[in-house]
Formats: sequence, structure tokens, C-alpha cells
Amino acid sequence: MQEAIVFSLNVSYGIISLALLVLGLAIIFGLLGVLNMAHGELVAIGAYTAWAVQSAGLPLLLALPVAAIAAGAIGWLMEISIIRHLYRRPFDTLLATWGISILLREAIKICFGLEYKSVIEPVGGSITILGADYPTYRIWLMVAVVLGFVGLFLWYRRSHAGTRVRAMVANPMLASAVGIETAKLARRAFVLGAASAGLAGCLMAPLIRIDPYMGVDYLLSSFFVLVVGGLGSLQGVFIGSGVIGGAETAASTILGGTGGYVTVLVISILFLWLKPGGLYARR
Amino acid sequence: MSEPLLKLDRISAGYGDLTVLRDISLTVAAGEVLCISGRNGVGKTTLMRLISGALPPQSGTIAMNGQDIAPLEPHARQHIGLSYAPQDSVTFAPLTLRENLTLHHKDHSLDRYQGLFRRFPRIEERLGQVAGTLSGGERKILAFCRVMAEGGSLLCLDEPTEGVQPENIAHMAEEIRAAAEAGRGLVVVEQNLSLIEQAADRVIVIDHGEIVHQTRNGPDMRAEILEKLKV
Amino acid sequence: MRAADAFFLPVFALLALVPFSFGDFTAYQLSLFILYGIVGQGIALCWGRVGILPLGQAMFFGLGAYLGGGALIWAEGNWALLLPCLVLAILLPALLAGLVALVVFRRQTGSGPFFSLITLALSMLTYQIALTASDLTGGFNGLTGIPPLPGTDPWGNLYWVILGTLLVTTLGTTWVLRAPIGTLWSAVAQNEARLSFLGYNVAGLKALAFAGSAALAALAGALYASQQGIVSPQTLGYVLSGELLIWTAVGGRQTVLGPVVGAVLIGFLSSELRDGFALWEVLLAAIFIGVVLLMPQGLGGLARPLLDKLSRKRKAPARDVIIPLSDAPSQPDLSFSDVEVTMGSVHILRGLSFDMKDPGLHCVIGPNGAGKTSSFNALSGLLPVSRGAIHWNGRDVTGRLPHQVARLGIARKLQVPMIFHDLSVADHLNIAIWAQNLSARDALRPSSFRRRNPVMDELFTLFPFLRDEQKTAGELSLGHRQMLEFAMSIMNKPTLVLLDEPCAGLSKLETTDMTGAIARMREKFGISALIVEHDFSVVETLSDHIYVLHQGELLAEGTLDQIRANTEVQAVYAGGSK
Repeated sequence: MQEAIVFSLNVSYGIISLALLVLGLAIIFGLLGVLNMAHGELVAIGAYTAWAVQSAGLPLLLALPVAAIAAGAIGWLMEISIIRHLYRRPFDTLLATWGISILLREAIKICFGLEYKSVIEPVGGSITILGADYPTYRIWLMVAVVLGFVGLFLWYRRSHAGTRVRAMVANPMLASAVGIETAKLARRAFVLGAASAGLAGCLMAPLIRIDPYMGVDYLLSSFFVLVVGGLGSLQGVFIGSGVIGGAETAASTILGGTGGYVTVLVISILFLWLKPGGLYARR
Repeated sequence: MSEPLLKLDRISAGYGDLTVLRDISLTVAAGEVLCISGRNGVGKTTLMRLISGALPPQSGTIAMNGQDIAPLEPHARQHIGLSYAPQDSVTFAPLTLRENLTLHHKDHSLDRYQGLFRRFPRIEERLGQVAGTLSGGERKILAFCRVMAEGGSLLCLDEPTEGVQPENIAHMAEEIRAAAEAGRGLVVVEQNLSLIEQAADRVIVIDHGEIVHQTRNGPDMRAEILEKLKV
Repeated sequence: MRAADAFFLPVFALLALVPFSFGDFTAYQLSLFILYGIVGQGIALCWGRVGILPLGQAMFFGLGAYLGGGALIWAEGNWALLLPCLVLAILLPALLAGLVALVVFRRQTGSGPFFSLITLALSMLTYQIALTASDLTGGFNGLTGIPPLPGTDPWGNLYWVILGTLLVTTLGTTWVLRAPIGTLWSAVAQNEARLSFLGYNVAGLKALAFAGSAALAALAGALYASQQGIVSPQTLGYVLSGELLIWTAVGGRQTVLGPVVGAVLIGFLSSELRDGFALWEVLLAAIFIGVVLLMPQGLGGLARPLLDKLSRKRKAPARDVIIPLSDAPSQPDLSFSDVEVTMGSVHILRGLSFDMKDPGLHCVIGPNGAGKTSSFNALSGLLPVSRGAIHWNGRDVTGRLPHQVARLGIARKLQVPMIFHDLSVADHLNIAIWAQNLSARDALRPSSFRRRNPVMDELFTLFPFLRDEQKTAGELSLGHRQMLEFAMSIMNKPTLVLLDEPCAGLSKLETTDMTGAIARMREKFGISALIVEHDFSVVETLSDHIYVLHQGELLAEGTLDQIRANTEVQAVYAGGSK
């Protein structure tokens, strides 16, 4: 019984943490159609921010806004200097953001060096859930993320700003025709996506390995989640995370790490073939 | 003499290397309804895209009330009073009808639509429905309502009656006349002769990207237009 | 020989001088970057020519290195064992690449980003495998103790072997790119859809290019194993892939030597500067971004204006290879049975049923949104059919891919003319005449550029502008583009050609020319056509028979007089002005 509880909690953690990491790319790729190859590096920046704040002796809670601002600022710079010109050229955005990803990775190497960094959990210990012990921080994280997603979902559906974004995504030409400044709105959405990535990295920092090369893994997982789940909806992010996270966990236990990777790759290619819109496309 | 509401002077426009519209000059005055007719593929929608700001001119000038609007983007043109309903993709499909009608107004209120709801009760009945579930004609009516109540001074409609039932077409014609009487200017691309007959002050016929005929609304108008379209 | 070839000599001369001017050790270091340059030539083939971007190309380099290294260790200097193994070391990665490309591109046109990310993922995967399968690969430390190629010395004459290999790859790649296959690859980058409608298997063309690039990478990898004596997982990783991409981009991906120049100059420079100048890598990434945005041709592009000045416009070779026309039946047999097409909640076609069994010219008319173009798209395989079936010559062809439909003898001309913007008129005519009629041998033979057939001869008469074969298609007027596309679509005497508003945007004179051409093709070669038109004067001139569509269904059919007299048709157009 205890093992079952721990297993379900592990699976939940896997799915929820994956959804958290994907969110930033889901906003930028799902809503704006920009394949941001630097997504993983934005996550990394969030994680390194957590380390930097903790190393400076400051409370870790402070790292959250700093990470969001740092990643958001880089996103803003990216959008304003480069992405803004490339919205109709998907190939070039891929290339340009790939270049930015390399640049950011090298910059991280210079600032922080090559060794792994680690961040200590702000809340240690474990909580007892239905008779099983599970790390406190993970529980807090899962609760916070789920609440955050619910809030984001409600905001997107109900708020005026969210409606404008949905309108812009659905029909950018018409949005402009009714007076919505799509360029400004797109920029804000991009910054939001970048900040989300940074926030994700910061929240996950105590639980993951932090090194300059951590980003590409998250980029690829995020991409596969979006291929499976579909672009343009939060539901798709969760469904995709469920499928990819679940498949990877299951396959890894049976076939080992490499087997897990291959499984995820095969699933993504199958979806590309048979259901290119993903499971819950809402574009 | 004051400047006309809309003035195009020797406009040429197209896509990339291709020129679709050649040497187009026209004016629309406040209180006037100008209809633009022609077969498919002659450049009518290109003309509307140009007016709305989605397409830049290759040469020539375009001005609203004397102000050069060529550098203005579509949203900026909307801010100075240009309301536009495109030919296709006329609604925000995943948004509800209510959202479609209110998202771009600061007050998010439906009050301004009361008169239009009386004319088109089906719209009011379905405010909570998602626009994507409407039929093509109903979406056109939705877009029509949006433009008529947007508060603009220059209303641009691209084939507003496509897929719309005849009785609703008559309602549209009445609304267009009422808007003109209230001092607005309207540019309407239309192939439906009955709308043109009921609503237009003047008609321009375009063929092969050029204006081939202009006429005022009158008894001979239908015959003249049909002759120009070679049917 | 062309103007661009003039660059080969100085580059090779300079490279040949290195051991004498700078000593064997520098030559040794440089040879590594020459190898990287060869990988770059493969990247330039995929990316610069065909337009697909591989983000994990080091994977094939590493595979070639591991396989080659393993072969060198195992063969112990015995050439009889070594040679076949080295050939395998090059072929296996190529095969893998071809397979991956076929799988990824099969269903989608333009799935470029997916392809790039999948190559990245694969590169990560192979890196993982190399790290963990230590029995096979030596794990983290890699494969060590690899002997050099028998008879060579890595610090001595191996340099000449490597330089010689570069010569072979450079000349070989240049030759292939100037063959018909090179033209086809350029066409893929510019308008895949048009190629599919001609019957080409675009996924296959892409797979071929990707396999070729993998072969180049693997070849370089095998030499790398011999040169370094050790192969570690890093040779497979995405970091190296990224560097290769940067060197290719900066050197110039549209040229054959550009990537080599990029690798040698920038790569070599990097290895010297990297340790001293901490910001070098950041600077390099910034340069890459700048090149991508502002100078997409890289350093090779700098030479372009000079090349353009030096090279004269070469005349197209005389067309003296006559290809006979097929004896394919001129009898079309098309039927739509209750075809339904829905997109989301919109019913585009609602139970469309009609038969077309008589040869001749048939017009399809109807108001906007009636489903005319959509019915063509359903037939061509562009729109999924949710219910009902389409039969051709008695066989169910519903849901076939566009190039498969083309191979049934159904050609397609789209409303907005689809042409290859940067290719010449000659290229267009060639691509059309090669369609479904080009063997692997022919794809490499220059004689294929000299083909003509009776249809082409007739087209030269009908459309005299086609004789100016060296003109770039992008410079043609809309009217000429329509005619060029029409010419391409009927070049191989299809049984049926689907013409979507062939006279859209044409002047009165051009309309007359076009309708005359359509009628002439029918008369002389028996090519039947289904024509969507709005201009009634065109319909009158052309049609033997008319189908009227309305709201996704067939409303009426018959001769023009019958249609005009039909009250239902009148009601639909009534308020209308058509």
C-alpha cells in the first residue's frame, strides 16, 4: 500500500514537474508559433539564479522574482532585437534561437563554471501522506504548480487580457483589424513565456542537476510534450506531459534510461505521422 | 472644400513582384455608400486589404480626411475610425459571440448592439455560443454587427452577404443606409446585385485590376453592371 | 568549368602549402578541421541546397568514427578485411539517415522544425548510448588505441590522404549538384508542393540528400579515427553539431568550399583563441546569429558579386534528346461518390457526387465557398475525406498522397501559380519533363538537360516566351507564370489536368492565349481538363460540359445552354452578378 502511494506520487510529480517545465515553451511556441530553441537555457538561468541567491546567503523565496525577471528580461531582449523580425520566418527563428541558446550556454559557462551546482531545498524533511513518507518540498511544488496552472487557465479564459491573447492567436489579422496592437501583445506573451521558463527552473532547482548543459534535455522534452499534447492549450500541456512523462517513466524502469529515451522518440514520431495536431490542438 | 473621408490616388498594389491592382483612384465621402463589384480574382479583396492596412501600396497615395494613412498599421487605422470586416476568417472562432462583440471595446458592454439585435435576433440568442459553431452566413452577420456598432467613421465590408439569407440581406441594406444617413462613409465589396441596388449610392466595377466602369445608383445600373461582367 | 570553380585552385594550393610553410604539427592540427569541413559540405548539401536543417550532424560523424575506429582495430592492418568494413562505416550511417528522413518527411510537407529537433534528439540518444554501452564503445573514455590507416602516419602523410579526400568530396559534390538531381534538390527548397503535384516523391529526394550528407560525415569520421587514434562520445554530441553548423553558416552554406573555409578559418582560430579569450565562444555565437539574420550566404556570399561579374549567363544546351510520349489512355474515368470533407465544424463538401467519363474540357462553376477548389484538393490528397470515396479508372484513390495521385495521370495547376522562384525557365521545363521519367542514372547525366518531347515543342509555339530559357522564373509576369505552370503540368501528357482558375489575373490578350493553349492541347494530345472558372466568356469558349457546385454539392450539370436555362442555377446566381 505504501509503495503504491509513493509510486502514484512519483508519477504525479513526474507529470506535474514536466508540465511546469514545458509551460514557457507552450506559451511561446503554442501561442506565438516561435520555436524557441533557447527555452532550456532560460530554464537553466532560473536554476542558476536560485543557486546564486542561496550562495549569497539570501532567502530562497527571493530567487523566484529574480529568476522571473532575469529570464523575462532576456526574453524581452530576444524579442525586441531578433524575434520581432522573424515571426513569418519559422526556419530563421529556429536558427536564430539556436544561436541564442549556444550564446547563453557559453555565457553561463563563463559566469558559473562547468561544475555541477546544487541548491538546498528551502523546506526539508518529509510529509506523511496516507501513511507514506514523501519529501515535503516536492509536495509543496506539486500543489503550487497545480494551483498556478488553474489560476493561469482561469485568467486566460476569463480576463480581458486573456481574451485578447486568445483572439490574437486565433486570428492575428482580424485582431489587428479590431484595434489590438498585436506586436505589443506578442512581445508581452513572449516575455511571459520566458519568465515562466525561468520560474520553472528556479522552482525545480533543488530537485534537478544544475550544469551549463542542462538546457537541451528540457528543450527536447518540452518539444515532445507539445507534439503529443498539441499546441495552444493548457489542457494539451498536461495531456502531453502525462503521455510523455508516463511513457518515459514506464519505459525507463523496464528498458533503462536509453530505452526510455527511444520510447519517447518513437511516440513523438508516431504522433507526427498520425495526429500532427496533437491530442488537444486548439489553434 | 473639405477633404473626402477616404481618397485613393493612383494606387497600385500586389504581392511581391506581382501587381494585382493598377492605377486605382476613388473617393468616398461621409454619408456615402460606395459599392465595388467585379468577378472573382479581379482584385476587390486586395483593394480592401489595402484600405484596411494589411497590404502596403506599391505606388500611389491613400488618405483619410486628408491625412496620409499609408504608414499606419491596421490597428492604428482602427483607432482613427476605420472599421473593417474581411472577406473570410471573419470571426474569432474559439471565442464566444459575446466576446467577439465586446473584446475590443473598453466598456465590454453589449448596449451598443441593441438595435442590431432587434434586426438579427439569432445573434442575441446565441451570445454564449462559440463563434466557430455558427454557419458561414451567421458569422458574416456577426462580423457585420461588430463593424456597424464599432463607432467608426469609415466602414469597410468585404462581401458581407456571402452565405446570408435574402431577408437578412435586406436588413443589412437598411442598416447600411441608416449608417450613411447618420454621416458615416461605407465601402462595400459586393457581388450580390440586390444589396447593391438597395444600399449603394455609387458603384465601381473592377476587372483585371483596373476600374472599368463607374455609375450612380439608378434604373440602368443592374444592366450596366451585368454587361461589364460579361455574363 | 564555371567561374565558381576558380576558387578551388587557390584554396587547395594554400592547403597544400601548409606542411611546408608551417610544419607537420600545424598540418596535423589543420587536418582535423579539414575533416570537419567535409562534414560541413554535407550540412551545406542538406541545408543550403535542399532546405532541411540537421541539428545533430555530428551523430553521423561519430558513428563513422566509432565504426571506422573499430574496423581499424579489428582488421589489424589487413586491407582485405579493412576495406569492406570502412565501406560499411560509411554506408550504415547513410542508410540510417535516409531512413530517418523518410520516416519524418513521409506525411508532412514542410515539417522542417520537427526534422531538426528529431536529429537533435537522435544525436543526444547516440551520445547516451556511447556513454553507457561501455563494452562496445569504451564508455566515457571512448575507443582508444586505434591504429592509423595502414601505410599512413597521422603526423605525416595522412595529411595528404585527408587533403586528397577533400579534393574527391569537393569535385564529387560539385559534379552531383550540377547534375539533374541538383536542380531537383533546389526545387525542393523552393516549392515542395509543386514537385509533389508533378509526381516526385519529395520525401525520397530529401532522404537522398540527408543520406549523402551522412555519408560525407561518416567518411570524415572514419578518417578522424585514424588521425586521432581515439574516439570519445563527444564526437557524437550536439555541442560539436552546433559548432559544425556555425562554421558552415559563417563559411557559406550555398557553396561547396564555403564550409571548409569556415571550419578551417573559424574552427582553427577557435581552438587557438578559446583558452586565452574567455568571451570567444559567446562572440562566435553572436556572429552566428548575425550571419543567420543579416548575411545568410556567409563568407561565400561575399564572393557572389565577383562571381556574377565574371560568369556570363550560360546558354541552355540545345534540346536534341527526344523523349516519346506515353501511350497512356486519353479516357478519363473519374467519379466522386458522396464525398464529405469537414474542417472543424465547417462542412466544405457535403456529399459531392458526380461522374466524369467523357474526354474533353469540363468546367466547374459555382459561387464562392461552393467547394470547387476543395474538390480538387480532396482529389489531390490535400484535404482529408471524412466520408465517401473518389474513384479513378475504377480504383479507389481516396486519401492518396499528392505525388501518388499525380502518378495516376492526374496533373494539377493551382490558382496562384506555383513556380520555383529562383530557378530558370529551362529548369522548370526540365523538372517537368523529368517527372516520373528519370532513372537514377539519368539523374546524374548531363544529357538529361537536353530533353524534349512533342508537347514541349507545341508549348514553344503556343508560348514563345518559353524560348528565353535562361530567364529566372521570379522575373516573369503573373500571366507568364500561369502559362509556365500550365506548361509544366501537361508536359508529360497526363490523362486529366485540374486547372484552378487558369486565367485569374490575366489580361484579355493573355486570357485568349491561355484558352487557346488549353483547347490546342486537348485537340492535339487528347489531354482532358477539369477547369474551375468564373469568367463566363472563358467558359463559353472552352466548355463541352459544365458542373455547377453549390454549398459543397453538385447542383446541376450539362451544356452551357442547359445550365443557363436551369432555374435552380439562376436562383443561386440571382442576387449574384455572375
